[in-house]
Amino acid sequence: MNKKIKTYYLLTAFTIFMFGFSYMLVPIYEVFCEITGLNGKTGSINSTLVIEKPVERFVRVQFTSNVINSAPFKFSPGKKEMVIQPGKIYTTFYTLTNQSNQPLLATANPSITPGKYAEYFKKIECFCFTHQQINANETKELAVQFIVDKKLPSEATSLVLAYTMFDITKQLGYKLEK
Amino acid sequence: MNTDADHLHEDHKTGIMRWITTTNHKDIGTLYLFLSLTMFFVGGAMALIIRAELFQPGLQLVNPDFFNQMTTMHALIMIFGALMPALVGLANWQIPLMIGAPDMALPRLNNWSFWILPFALGMLGSTLFFEGGAPAAGWTLYPPLVLQGGDALPYAIFSIHLLGLSSILGAINIIATILNMRAPGMTLMKMPMFVWTWLITAFLLIAVMPVLAGAVTMLLTDRFFGTSFFTASGGGDPVMFQHIFWFFGHPEVYILILPAFGVISTIIPTFSRKKLFGYDSMVYATASIALLSFIVWAHHMFTVGMPLAGEIFFMMTTMLIAVPTGVKVFNWIATMWKGSMTFETPMLFSLAFIVLFTIGGFSGLMMAITPVDFQYHDTYFIVAHFHYVLVPGSVFAVIAAVYFWLPKWTGKMYDETLGKTHFWLTTIFVNITFFPQHFVGLAGMPRRIPDYAVQFTDFNAISTIGSFGFGIAQILFLYILYKTLKQDVTADNKVWEGAEGLEWTLPSPPPYHSFEEPPKVE
Repeated sequence: MNKKIKTYYLLTAFTIFMFGFSYMLVPIYEVFCEITGLNGKTGSINSTLVIEKPVERFVRVQFTSNVINSAPFKFSPGKKEMVIQPGKIYTTFYTLTNQSNQPLLATANPSITPGKYAEYFKKIECFCFTHQQINANETKELAVQFIVDKKLPSEATSLVLAYTMFDITKQLGYKLEK
Repeated sequence: MNTDADHLHEDHKTGIMRWITTTNHKDIGTLYLFLSLTMFFVGGAMALIIRAELFQPGLQLVNPDFFNQMTTMHALIMIFGALMPALVGLANWQIPLMIGAPDMALPRLNNWSFWILPFALGMLGSTLFFEGGAPAAGWTLYPPLVLQGGDALPYAIFSIHLLGLSSILGAINIIATILNMRAPGMTLMKMPMFVWTWLITAFLLIAVMPVLAGAVTMLLTDRFFGTSFFTASGGGDPVMFQHIFWFFGHPEVYILILPAFGVISTIIPTFSRKKLFGYDSMVYATASIALLSFIVWAHHMFTVGMPLAGEIFFMMTTMLIAVPTGVKVFNWIATMWKGSMTFETPMLFSLAFIVLFTIGGFSGLMMAITPVDFQYHDTYFIVAHFHYVLVPGSVFAVIAAVYFWLPKWTGKMYDETLGKTHFWLTTIFVNITFFPQHFVGLAGMPRRIPDYAVQFTDFNAISTIGSFGFGIAQILFLYILYKTLKQDVTADNKVWEGAEGLEWTLPSPPPYHSFEEPPKVE
């Protein structure tokens, strides 16, 4: 093959590789965030978490909520605060009310603060990222079941779980059921 | 060989079709440079709208939304429409002449990479007339803001795809030319510095332009196809866009400056009548700057909330870049040391480049220090910094290159007195424009705002006066170019007494097809 054409093909292949690399940066970023606990992403569940005799240690978990872009939601935690023991399963709930006169589609993002302890906070059941249909003036209770890993460093005495509620009717409104 | 060349000579078309169908590197270089000059004035006009609005506090001339469109479009047009085409145009004209090649390696591809540009820029410019206006979220296109704009977004994204494609094709062509078409005897370490800097720049382009394409494609699918790369409601992360964008963005700023380094490394030895000091170290310094550019990106986003280790890493690597850059600056100064210097217009622009680029480099070093960057971030200090490295940096180098090689390209000598007048006006006004921006920035004036607190009024007024002076000085540049082409004063083949290199062995202007027989390099 002509040398010039060979250079051309090699460089074109490199270009395509770099385009792919830009998409590879997405999972790389996710892994990086998981390792460093950035963005308050919570850890994954496994069966060894529950222990028969929880250690005599108490951690305060506070619950907060936000609504993005003044969407017509009333969104608040059922309990503002719980005192829990690592290694035990707990359940609590958030209340979501649609204050408008039409059905809306809502979705929530969770976040743990401080971020470096996020991996020790495991959610067994959670309404995050699911698309909730909520009809006009309806109120829903959304359950959260969680466990705090017993390996939580001893200096951590309180954690905050925050949920941010988004109105995604504009983007995904076609999914609404009549 | 000769018959082949004669045949080609007769073959080339005349009139408009010559320019549309041309595959000649000289023609394409000229096209690039003319497009760049046009876009320089379009982008400049937008800058003057920005400066006119900022002459006084309060809103006088334009509404804030249009102001934001102007800051966004000014940056996109200056980067992708003015500077990059200018540098590629210089590469097209000079690289074959400097390495003794008859043309670029892939001439038809070359035609394409130019002719994509006017259409891409036309698409980008047309968004100004859309309902909702042009993109207005800044040239960095950060989500979520950019996703909330009007219908301009998909147009802007497609035009960025095309502009990137044009740059990539140009870069592939440049690498293929340099690696395969050097005259016998011209080893890599004998290549002129301009060729070296472009070789490295072309690799940077191929490495990062596709990443920008990927990032803007993700924006597009987030907006129209329900993906959630950056949409928080779907579990995406807007900060990730900043990481991907600056993974492209930081090498991009070196793409804009490395060929300028090459130009300065050509002009300084010519007018000092000495060889370039430390050629080898110049090559290694350029390569180190290029490599380091891939691991410093997050210094553009120190305030997003990175772990401490990350902030320290990006601070240290950023400061490390000052070392190879310092090597270059010291080499230029050492080249002039005890040289028989004369001060023709290209040399004046190059000297101003060294002084003013170094000022821009130092303010960059200040911002590399993470704790103080929290104060400087998104203020006019950063505006002053990057305008110091891009205007009296890259733009001055392009102007110097045009004065330096114009007599070779056209066979006609420009008016030296007018050239010097242009230099002094430009240099004085560029400082009046951008120096006060350091002060308002340090005092806390944010960038990208149409209105500001009254204590910033005086410096902003000075800056605006400077910018209009700078604009008028460039009209003089237009006149000088026009006068050069219209007059009869011819330039001899060597043009400059101290000039060295293969391009000066050709007649001025060089024949349409040059170096059909490769020259021998000792």
